[in-house]
Amino acid sequence: MAKRRRRTPAAAPAPEMQKVQTGVEARDELLPPREPVDATHAAAEVSAEAAIDELPESGPEAASEQERPSLDARDDVAEFSAWVHGVGEDELEDLALEAPSEVPPRSIDDLAGELRRVEAEVDRMFDERARRREDDAPRSVVDRIRDMMPVELPGQDGTIVDAARDVLSTDYYLRQWSRIGLRNRSEEVDEFGLDPVYEARLLPLLDFLYTKWFRVEVRGIENVPKSGRCVLVANHSGVLPFDGLMVRTAARREHSTARDVRWLAEDFIYHLPFLGAFINRIGAVRACQENAERLLRREECILVFPEGVKGTGKLFRDRYRLQRFGRGGFVKLALRTHAPVVPVSIVGAEETAPLLYRFEYLTRAIGLPYLPVTPLFPLLGPVGLLPAPSKWLIEFGAPIALEEHGAEAADDALLVGRLAERVRGAIQQTLDARLSERKSVWLG
Amino acid sequence: MSSEQKPKVPSVRARGGKVVALTGASSFLGRNLIGILEEDSSVRRIVAIDIVAPPTAGPKTRLYEVDLTQPGSEVRVAEVLAAEEVDTVLHLAFLSSPSHAAAYAHELESVGTMRVVTACRSSRVQKLVQWSSTFLYGARAANPNFLTERHPLRARLDEPFFADKISAEQEAGRFAARTTGAVVTILRTAPILGPTVHNFLTRYLAQRVVPTMMGFDPLVQFLHEVDAIAAFKRAIDRDVPGTFNVVGQGVLPLSTVVKLSARLALPIPHPIAKSFVRATWFTQLGELPDALIDYLRFLCVADGERARRELGWSPAYTTREALDDFLSAQRLRDVRLLQDPAHRSEATRGRAPAT
Repeated sequence: MAKRRRRTPAAAPAPEMQKVQTGVEARDELLPPREPVDATHAAAEVSAEAAIDELPESGPEAASEQERPSLDARDDVAEFSAWVHGVGEDELEDLALEAPSEVPPRSIDDLAGELRRVEAEVDRMFDERARRREDDAPRSVVDRIRDMMPVELPGQDGTIVDAARDVLSTDYYLRQWSRIGLRNRSEEVDEFGLDPVYEARLLPLLDFLYTKWFRVEVRGIENVPKSGRCVLVANHSGVLPFDGLMVRTAARREHSTARDVRWLAEDFIYHLPFLGAFINRIGAVRACQENAERLLRREECILVFPEGVKGTGKLFRDRYRLQRFGRGGFVKLALRTHAPVVPVSIVGAEETAPLLYRFEYLTRAIGLPYLPVTPLFPLLGPVGLLPAPSKWLIEFGAPIALEEHGAEAADDALLVGRLAERVRGAIQQTLDARLSERKSVWLG
Repeated sequence: MSSEQKPKVPSVRARGGKVVALTGASSFLGRNLIGILEEDSSVRRIVAIDIVAPPTAGPKTRLYEVDLTQPGSEVRVAEVLAAEEVDTVLHLAFLSSPSHAAAYAHELESVGTMRVVTACRSSRVQKLVQWSSTFLYGARAANPNFLTERHPLRARLDEPFFADKISAEQEAGRFAARTTGAVVTILRTAPILGPTVHNFLTRYLAQRVVPTMMGFDPLVQFLHEVDAIAAFKRAIDRDVPGTFNVVGQGVLPLSTVVKLSARLALPIPHPIAKSFVRATWFTQLGELPDALIDYLRFLCVADGERARRELGWSPAYTTREALDDFLSAQRLRDVRLLQDPAHRSEATRGRAPAT
């Protein structure tokens, strides 16, 4: 009802009209810059009568309406200026005199209160801005350290006695130590152990490896479905395999939906200290049928290396020659879960650590399948494990749909073998083609 | 199975409710379940079998002092079950923590279960609910991240704490196979954590310095004590035969658990830790056998999907919430505002079949 009222043009400019207008102009300068205010226009459209009519019947309502963005901006301004007008004490009295029957002064008071609240809000905003400017000022060293480490100072918001009690108790130090330990860690991980905070901390390093060190070039990323389950199958290489990590980074950076790829890592890594815990935190999952199936049923995209240790352990002279594709486990998996298979060919990873010799004598005792011998390792110690900066190319091939075969085809060993061979052939073909195009190991 | 059960249901109702017997009635699970069953109108009588009286026993509870480690106790249990017309037996007489008294533990868990099962068979009990543990799957690097009930129990058999429980499960399985129409429900609980429970896990986390294995950070899973009790109650109420993993939702890395507990982690290389723990266990100075070291290195996390689907039970607390709840009580214990359960049960320790 009020809205319709507002829209009716002023039939005849009433004497109060002038007052409304001056009120508007006077207040406009003080108002927070909400919309460009065309005071004359607003005043012409709204009739003073309408403004007075509206005032008593919808005090708080008008205020709330004013916040609603759906209203016509001009209406908004008119309405606002109309009740702004009522604030000056003398004007308020005038209004009451002119329309005594309809304006109970109490509601005007309410409006004045409302307005004061708005003013207080504006003041607060100004104060805050001033404070923010103070934040940019140099702070004390203690403050900086406190920001860096989430340490709670002894006896925070307490007396000196509290502080002393804190400083004297072991629990206080244990608590602070644990807090510092948790600053790089999320308190919740996903069900396979991916720690989002830990990974986020590592992203600059991963991006450096991806863009500067390996200068990864990606082709055919659109072959990875935008959503839903999917099995990426890739060739495997490198003494310390970086290929899983790089494909994950590629999908995150290049894919239109920044797909989260979980790669499946060999068992033996989980026998080793540090490495297993580390790669688990940044997105690897131990390779086994149960884990892969669970991930696919969660509609995730997984990356498998069917060559396994045979892939990473092939000598440099056998580079880019795909090894046996396990027992076709990934085909069974894709058949059972109706997931499309995307062949992935990675060129450049073989040269990161050319394997000259596999030392297998007694290495099983320490949980390693073999001890690698590369030009730099073990000659230079751990430094020798750093990957050489070869130029990488990751090519995602066209998806191979296995839908035509039902889930029961997973038990058909012949078919599984044939399909695995088909995927292997597709990857090998792409690898050979890209290798023949490649001019330099280091420059691509 | 349900068709064979049907004629039995009205008879239970006609008699005015179920009669539930609990072995190990003074154990943590036992005494809490007695408290709940006392208030349950569908339960007519509770038969508590233990060597110590449960503190929660009310008017519905009848106590029978039977020591399951004694030869001939199966006859006594069978008499009790027959005299009280017991429908459901809850077998909870297991040790919640490893014990140096290996012979006693074997007698109680492995042989004791055999005696309970024998008594159940002779007195025609139709339902057996047994407590077991997800630890029995064994912690191995080759475990899938979520172990299902189909996975074989591969805990180390040279450790009596596991071997006795595995053989107890096999006894229950034999009972299910031989007795037609019997409902045998085995609940494998994840390590139970909460403000009032007391076991080797709570003692491990109560230490100011918590030893961990250097370079290993397995994902762990806990079950809140309230959820554990609720799962057993659900198993009593519903006739669902089978084995179920009863676990909390979500996992946490062990290092995060230690940090959230505000404890100091002491990383030890595992070969050193192994020989040290073996030595302290052998000389009875340490509390834990070296087989438990594997659980600080490798995964042993179970999938609770089947319990949700078939038993209709799902946890109210996640792993994280169970830990938080335990910690809120532990903080009070740290500053001596709450009595340590270890001191409270000092008098009964060694005599009680389970804590």
